[in-house]
Amino acid sequence: MSTAVAVAHQANEEWRQPSRGIVGMACLIAAESAIFIIFVVAYIFYTGKSLTGPTPREVLELPIFSTICLLSSSITVHFAVHELRASKVRLSAWWLAATVLLGSIFIASTAAEWYKLIYHDGLTIRTNLFGTTFYSLVGLHASHVIAGLIMLGLALIFTLMGKVNQSHAERLEVLSIYWHFVDAVWVVVFTVVYILGR
Amino acid sequence: MEQKSEAGHNAVHMPSPTVWPMVLAMGLTLIITGMVTSAAVSVLGLILSLASVIGWFREVLPHEAHQMVDAVEEEIEISSARKSIDRLPIDPMHRKLVPLEIFRITTGIKGGIAGGIAMIVPATIFSLLKYHSFWYATNLMAAGGFVSWAGQSDQFLAQFHLEGLLAALVIHTVASVLVGLLYGAMLPMFPRWPILTAGFLAPLLWTGLLFSTLEFISPVLNERISWFWFIPSQIAFGLVCGFVVNLQAKVRTPQFQALPFALRAGLHGAIGEAGDETHPKDGKA
Amino acid sequence: MVTQTPVTSIAGHAPASQHGSRAFDVVYDWITTVDHKKIGIMYIVYALIFLVIAGIEALLMRVQLAVPNNTFVSPQSFNRLFTMHGTTMVFFVGMPILFGFGNYLIPLMIGARDMAFPRLNAFSFWISAFSGFLLYFSYFAGSGLYGAGTAPDVGWFAYAPLTARVFSPGHSTDYWTLSVLLSSIGSLGTALNIVATTLSMRCPGMKLSRMPLLVWLYFVTSCIAFIAISPLSAAQIMLVIDRYLGGHFFDTQAGGSAVLWMHFFWIFGHPEVYILVLPAFAFANEIIPVFSRKAIFGYPAMVSATVGIGFISMGVWAHHMFTVGLGPGANAFFTLATMVIAVPTGIKIFNWLATMWGGNIHFSTPMIFSIGFLFQFLVAGLTGVMLAAAPFDWQLGNSYFVVAHFHYVLVGAILFMIFAAFYYWYPKMTGRMLSERLGKWHFWLFVIGFHLTFDFMHIPGILGMPRRIYTYEADRGWAIWNMIVSSGAIFQTIATLIFVYNLVVSYFKGAVAGPDPWDAWTLEWSTSSPPPSYNFAKTPTVESRRPLWDLKHPEEPDTQYE
Ligand code: HEM
Ligand SMILES: [Cu+2]
Repeated sequence: MSTAVAVAHQANEEWRQPSRGIVGMACLIAAESAIFIIFVVAYIFYTGKSLTGPTPREVLELPIFSTICLLSSSITVHFAVHELRASKVRLSAWWLAATVLLGSIFIASTAAEWYKLIYHDGLTIRTNLFGTTFYSLVGLHASHVIAGLIMLGLALIFTLMGKVNQSHAERLEVLSIYWHFVDAVWVVVFTVVYILGR
Repeated sequence: MEQKSEAGHNAVHMPSPTVWPMVLAMGLTLIITGMVTSAAVSVLGLILSLASVIGWFREVLPHEAHQMVDAVEEEIEISSARKSIDRLPIDPMHRKLVPLEIFRITTGIKGGIAGGIAMIVPATIFSLLKYHSFWYATNLMAAGGFVSWAGQSDQFLAQFHLEGLLAALVIHTVASVLVGLLYGAMLPMFPRWPILTAGFLAPLLWTGLLFSTLEFISPVLNERISWFWFIPSQIAFGLVCGFVVNLQAKVRTPQFQALPFALRAGLHGAIGEAGDETHPKDGKA
Repeated sequence: MVTQTPVTSIAGHAPASQHGSRAFDVVYDWITTVDHKKIGIMYIVYALIFLVIAGIEALLMRVQLAVPNNTFVSPQSFNRLFTMHGTTMVFFVGMPILFGFGNYLIPLMIGARDMAFPRLNAFSFWISAFSGFLLYFSYFAGSGLYGAGTAPDVGWFAYAPLTARVFSPGHSTDYWTLSVLLSSIGSLGTALNIVATTLSMRCPGMKLSRMPLLVWLYFVTSCIAFIAISPLSAAQIMLVIDRYLGGHFFDTQAGGSAVLWMHFFWIFGHPEVYILVLPAFAFANEIIPVFSRKAIFGYPAMVSATVGIGFISMGVWAHHMFTVGLGPGANAFFTLATMVIAVPTGIKIFNWLATMWGGNIHFSTPMIFSIGFLFQFLVAGLTGVMLAAAPFDWQLGNSYFVVAHFHYVLVGAILFMIFAAFYYWYPKMTGRMLSERLGKWHFWLFVIGFHLTFDFMHIPGILGMPRRIYTYEADRGWAIWNMIVSSGAIFQTIATLIFVYNLVVSYFKGAVAGPDPWDAWTLEWSTSSPPPSYNFAKTPTVESRRPLWDLKHPEEPDTQYE
């Protein structure tokens, strides 16, 4: 008997496997979800347990506008991938730019919210349990938004530099999955912090 | 990397070595180390991390860096020193394929549900005879789930409680279905005396297990349970469940499909007969 | 048969350069490598180094406890010793060594050329390695209680509020938190890589239902890792927020809860023990069939039992917290859930036994270690089921009985299977066989030492000896048992030294292995030993679960039966 492996009958069916990029991103999302779940559990566990004020009801306002911005950025990034698939690079760049813009608005309004909380309402991470859990949960989410923005920004820059073409559509798709995830987390955070927690 | 030049080359794409993953790891570690030593360390870590992120990016974008490696096809003979295989003296198959026939999963569920319903009869009789109440047995079962019921009187347990009914229903259904599934899986293994095994042995074993552990699982239940009545209700379950399970048709497993035609057609008997002990050696499935 | 001459150095041939020494080239080659085999070997070597370090710590503790009222080490050092021993063994020995074998074997077994993300793979290794160094750097730099510069001393589960700034000033606890946090980045990276590799890199014909069981088990382990390790990271981040930013997560003064930390830790902690034990099962799944000369019994049952264990292991964490007082509902739930785990575990044990049943068993070193594993794992599972009964646990929780239980698993099962894996795959990794004679010495000495230590460790536990005490009075009746326990450590030390000696000497002098020394059936044995960097010159194609069996026995291939 000789060489290599296995009786090569014929590999008649086509051999297909999932893309490693998407599998990798799914794994990352599973791991990140577990992190967020723990923070959300801590938030829920500690709602109403602060020994001193201020309480969520006193200081939190519903961030409706920024929420709309963030959620609609999911749609724009979807179109960016869609257009890149169809080899329409310019159009894809526009959609990407819109995504980055919407994401930035979200971050800016979070920053404004924190500024108000810290300087007007005197709520810091040290103030009470509400402060601790609020800043860490919302901050954890915001840091994910920032990471996503940096990567989307890079993608935008590369696109504008003309280095991106249809063959990169899958990578952009992987990135867009991450972005959808960040948005989905916001829905949970929003519900828990701004609706149930108040 | 091996690079021999011989006949039979083909070039293989392999990712090229890179130092950046290591530098990035070091950078991140230094950033963190700064938190327990001094900020200068963090700064150094930050510089390293940024440099390596850029370096890494440039390696994978727009295209991953590759190097071509010459793959040398070596003659590697794959053969076994053990050419002789012990054959089974009886079985023309050389391999034991088990099981050939099994019950469907739904069979077990059906049996469990039927048994669960049958069990209610003795339990209710017990409840009516001893406490003159239809609900006593139900509440007793539910009590495991309610801490506050531990100290309640018999009278309380004899009344109707909706949450008690619901909890008992859940506990009873889950347990019955699980045991039913077990019956579905196990009965084909003991084909000899189905009434004895399914109807009596299994319930008695189960009762024994419960008798010794119930104290820890549900102290309330343990205090008041009447083992004398418990056994008939278990036997009712076993008989009905076993009966229902055995009524259903068995299905053939893929192992059966793998048998040669003559065996499947029943021309050679003696496949998978109970007690047909085989001693496969060297490479039997 | 063409015998392979072993490649002289597993470092491979760095392109010969005129300037610069050859040593530098070799080092540079290893630092920059993205080859899964080299990364696997680095993981293993690094874990072995930490194994020796943590082993020495254990030895020091046993010397201290051998006789009553001993003053061999101070109480403070004793606390540091058990903290560092536990942390090291779990995070810097167990996980890296298992990931190392996984890294090395998975691509070879599924006929791939490398992992799915080779650079991420290198990154994960290095960050785990550096985090280990960071932890041990604390011995030189961490300022602990009252400025005593030194290592963490809060125990491997670091219960709050002991970890709060007030009770643990200085940085010793920070070293623990930060290094474990870093290492979990590495673990998550490797787990991700393993999942992506198994799903996306299989060679043609390697359906999921044909993958070697080892690959299946690593796949499940990695999935558990995502859901288990992340909660730990989250809890560590909270602890860092408490300690650095003045947060109150675990600050009982401000309404924070210490029990919440316990929950978070054990939500990680229990699945973690399965992350450690599943790879050991994985080795057994490969080794036992080959040395019984039979295919594994009940492949689908094995896979589903593994998946079942994965799910159940998520729902049992509070059996570590019975003594907290969870209430009867939770006690009953966690007692039952824990006992349920014994069912899929039992299925596995029976399948291994059925595999051996009627087989033509070869008692080579890998196999005798596996047989030891079978018995010892059984006993460990039994003490586990005992502890799972809440009232029993109220008596024995936090005693040496618990220590004996989990060392029975960690040493008796996991370490034994790691040794078995060394004897089995060392020929593939280096091209040389390990000495069988030394292997037998290793095995018997280790078995004797193991049983002396860990069988007898149950007894002081039952007699009421709490864990983590640095010494005890002579009149407690524990002295004789502790003496026996400590004496077992001597045997284990000698056995380990023999093992390390065997590893080193066989590398140079061992018998040449050839590609397939065990007459095995999985793909890694179809390429040379050690394999070339590209693993397979031609990507293999498989048609059954045992591709090499099909080749060796063309008259009766497995393909007929699938
Ligand atoms: C049938 C399987 C098992 C059962 C029922 C079981 C049960 C238990 C229980 C109830 C405890 C808590 C004891 C206490 O703290 O009072 C415990 C502790 C422990 N078990 Fe297991 N166990 C099983 C298997 C394993 C396995 C496979 C491993 C490791 C791979 C393991 C490792 C541990 C460890 C490390 C601890 C102690 C943690 C600590 O307190 O530091 N167990 N086990
Ligand atoms: Cu556990």
